[in-house]
Amino acid sequence: MYYRAIRNDILRNKAITLTIVAFVAAAALLVSLAAVLVVNLSGAIDGLMTQAKTPHFMQMHSGEMDHAQLAAFVAQHSEIADWQVLEFLNIDGAQIIFEGGSLAGSVQDNGFSVQSAKFDYLLDLDSNVIQARDGEIYVPIPYMQQGLARVGDRVQVAGKDFTVAGFLRDSQMNSLLSSSKRFLISQNDYAEISNFGKVEYLIEFRLTDPSALGAFEIAYAAAGLDANGPTITYPLFRMLNSLSDGLMIAVILLISALVVVIAFLCIRFTLLAKIEEDYREIGVLKAIGLRVSDIKKIYLAKYAAIAAAGSLLGFALSFVFRGLLLKNIRLNFGDSGNASLALALGILSVLLLFLVILAFVNSVLRRFRKIPPAEAIRFGIAQEQSRGGKYLRLSRSKLIGANVMLGLKDVLARKKIYATMLAVLVIAAFIVIVPRNLHNTISAPSFITYMGVARSDLRIDIQQTDDIAAKAADVAAAMESDAAIERYVVLTSRTFTTRLADGSEERIKIELGDHSIIPITYAAGRAPTAENEIALSVMNAGELGKQVGDVIPVMIAGQERNLTVVGTYSDITNGGRTAKAVFTDTTADIMWSVVSATLADSSLTGAKIEEYAGRFEFAKVSSVDEYIVQTFGATMTAIGKASRVAAGVALLITVLITLLFMRMLIAKDRYAIAVMKAFGFTNSDIKVQYVARAVFVLLIGIILGTLLANTLGEALAGAAISSFGASTFAFVVNPVEAYLVAPLLMVGSVLVATMLGTLDAGKIKISENIKE
Amino acid sequence: MNKILVGENLVKSFGEGDERRNVLDGVSVEINEGEFVAVMGPSGSGKSTLLFALSGMDGIDSGKVTFDGEDMSALGENELADMRRTEMGFVFQQPTLLRNLTILDNIILPSMRDRRANGAEITSKARALMKTTGVAELENREITQASGGQLQRVGICRALMSDPKVIFGDEPTGALNSTSASEVMNLLGEIHRNGTTILLVTHDARVAARTERVLYLFDGKIAGEFLAGAYDEAGDDLKEREERVISWLAEMEF
Repeated sequence: MYYRAIRNDILRNKAITLTIVAFVAAAALLVSLAAVLVVNLSGAIDGLMTQAKTPHFMQMHSGEMDHAQLAAFVAQHSEIADWQVLEFLNIDGAQIIFEGGSLAGSVQDNGFSVQSAKFDYLLDLDSNVIQARDGEIYVPIPYMQQGLARVGDRVQVAGKDFTVAGFLRDSQMNSLLSSSKRFLISQNDYAEISNFGKVEYLIEFRLTDPSALGAFEIAYAAAGLDANGPTITYPLFRMLNSLSDGLMIAVILLISALVVVIAFLCIRFTLLAKIEEDYREIGVLKAIGLRVSDIKKIYLAKYAAIAAAGSLLGFALSFVFRGLLLKNIRLNFGDSGNASLALALGILSVLLLFLVILAFVNSVLRRFRKIPPAEAIRFGIAQEQSRGGKYLRLSRSKLIGANVMLGLKDVLARKKIYATMLAVLVIAAFIVIVPRNLHNTISAPSFITYMGVARSDLRIDIQQTDDIAAKAADVAAAMESDAAIERYVVLTSRTFTTRLADGSEERIKIELGDHSIIPITYAAGRAPTAENEIALSVMNAGELGKQVGDVIPVMIAGQERNLTVVGTYSDITNGGRTAKAVFTDTTADIMWSVVSATLADSSLTGAKIEEYAGRFEFAKVSSVDEYIVQTFGATMTAIGKASRVAAGVALLITVLITLLFMRMLIAKDRYAIAVMKAFGFTNSDIKVQYVARAVFVLLIGIILGTLLANTLGEALAGAAISSFGASTFAFVVNPVEAYLVAPLLMVGSVLVATMLGTLDAGKIKISENIKE
Repeated sequence: MNKILVGENLVKSFGEGDERRNVLDGVSVEINEGEFVAVMGPSGSGKSTLLFALSGMDGIDSGKVTFDGEDMSALGENELADMRRTEMGFVFQQPTLLRNLTILDNIILPSMRDRRANGAEITSKARALMKTTGVAELENREITQASGGQLQRVGICRALMSDPKVIFGDEPTGALNSTSASEVMNLLGEIHRNGTTILLVTHDARVAARTERVLYLFDGKIAGEFLAGAYDEAGDDLKEREERVISWLAEMEF
């Protein structure tokens, strides 16, 4: 009996059934993909880290090495299973020249190593330990993915020619998030080029009991060993390795959550509509003595069939897509060897989705209990649903016309059903607007305030070159004699050491110079003006635990001096950790210099950029807008693309749901439509009524969605941006886009969908729906 | 006498393939202006189909319907809708009222469709009709707050709003108890006496006994006609008229 009921019902509502199956399938596909990816990723990373014997603890160190002290430390610690000191020959990117160009613009620290003897092996793509021969170079996988090199290519390093013999998996530095990349060469070649770079040491340990890592870290720090560089532990390597693919998994999960929500909304409103349609029938079934659970079974069976079909389809499709997504994981980390676990977890996640859908259907069906049989049989409609919109009287509808009034009344009378459509429209408006606003904010000139940089016309960056100070002075001299330059300032970033409250030392980048010439906007306080003052970036202030008025000790020219924090500012560049001060110190390591200038006539900017770029070839000359594009161009493009994709998807979902919703309403309102037609309403009258309903719901949806985008959306985007170091965040809204184009696109989508969805209204025959 | 409604050789079939059958199989009827006519016949004989065909609510496969001299087959869907709204009235077995509207709004609904409609005038007309039909106190009620008989009178009010030339009734008393049914029929009788043409479908001999002429439909054809003459509520014995109808129906093998 169930089978026949299900089949008839599905055949009658093919489009609606197919849509729900599609959403469930999409959800199942994404959920199972996420499960498979999680298992494979963690398995593959574990595999790689086991095969490569990743160190449990690694201290990077630049400068002199005290090997005797280290050996003494090892002798005292029996928990050390193995240890070694590897060399990492840091060579400037400009000296590493591939056939397609050098690595001059690379943000990575590129270094050369020989294969390790004991652990921390560099592996080939078959996970074997590589033995490089003379003249051979093995290139990190990320450069292969970027298409920089192919096997057999020539690479010139510090004047010496190498042939790319293959690519290497580096369990430490595979991730693009890790700031260093290791190339592998032979011992002889290493000796030959070792004069062209700066050696850093990787002091590495493997422990007998990795769980005692915490205690070991403390012991190492306490022993006062060489530690001029970051410390990285096994769990951190693991996290770095999993982050980029992990992000992809997170995005998939996020999208699948959205799809599940939409699937649930679809199920909810088809169910509610079906219950309304079958109201009398349900009353009759209750009246003749069937239990609520018996009646529920009929409906549950149908949705179980739909959910099962969708889940199976989605799971089957996941086999098609998993290869594609696993490719990257396989390339970076090798095979996971967890195929059966992945399959099991994939099945389990789909099964879970299936059960959640059934539980959801079951909870929607709870309202059966509230249907009073006598009333249902007599009226065939739920009593409470005739409430609402009471004050809209047809007799007073002159202003908007009877059809529009009928549309509005219906929405107000059946709020529960329209709430579903409203929810979808609010979400859609949110998805259209938030990424757009974010993109606008990042693209706006005012975004510079988040970057710890003042608005100037010209910006000259001097970095990755020798004798930065002299070169900056040359530029300054040229500007001094240039009549077109209104104001200019040379700001030089140097690294210093500061001491934290717990006594430990930390490196801090301080930008030195006169910060009052071309001032930035401060989140709190003001620019430093005296020798003993400093301004901190918001993120630095947070990490150092300093506020305006606090004092921070900084080692300046070998002496510790207390600087007063006089201001904080947003900065999302350089990892968000910067500082500004006016004191002079020529002894600290210089990192880069920036010369900023404003022009008397800013229309000359283009010409001046060309002039200075031609004159100072070592410098990067740009306008501030260009600087933003250079620094965040990729992010801006990505967000711009994402915002367009998001808008497209949101509009597609809007069309689909509206279409589905309208078709369902028409099917359900057959009787009312037939009555109105019998009494002389035309098909276009009916259409106007449905358009009025849709537009009414849409307007509320757009208003709510826009409000939500500007509050919750702004807060979310702000939270994301503040994690990069911004203090406060406000959307820069393009009113034409946000308040005109986006709503118009949505109105257009809803109108098209309503027109298509109400086509069936014309086909409703009075005689078939009203005849006794 | 002027023929207000004429159906000639009406054919209408339902079903697919072998199961296709003519529900109307060449029916011809003529209804005079001011006449009160009932259509009777066994279930499935095509009574309602005939009513829907004559009122332009349902198309026909062949034949011709003329309403007040106008060939309805030449009219488009919108013109037919306009005709139903302005020149015809309908009363169905179920009240066919919209649940979101109050009783008053249900009555004025078709009249308010015209944007130039005068809301105040329409409302006062509706109130007057509600008073005549005894449902004035229901004005602001929901349709779920009235009895079946009351709702049927509301339906009649709605049908009268456009001062129709013809009122079509599809078993208008079919869902009512005998008291309510009698009240509704008294009301229709009064409307008829005021000059409105009424054509109704019924299976109830007591309802048919109040009409002037009864048509008997069988297997999609008019099988017989019974001329009962005008019913005078004060002077005629309804019981006796009903018996005459019943014995005629017996002749027709009803």
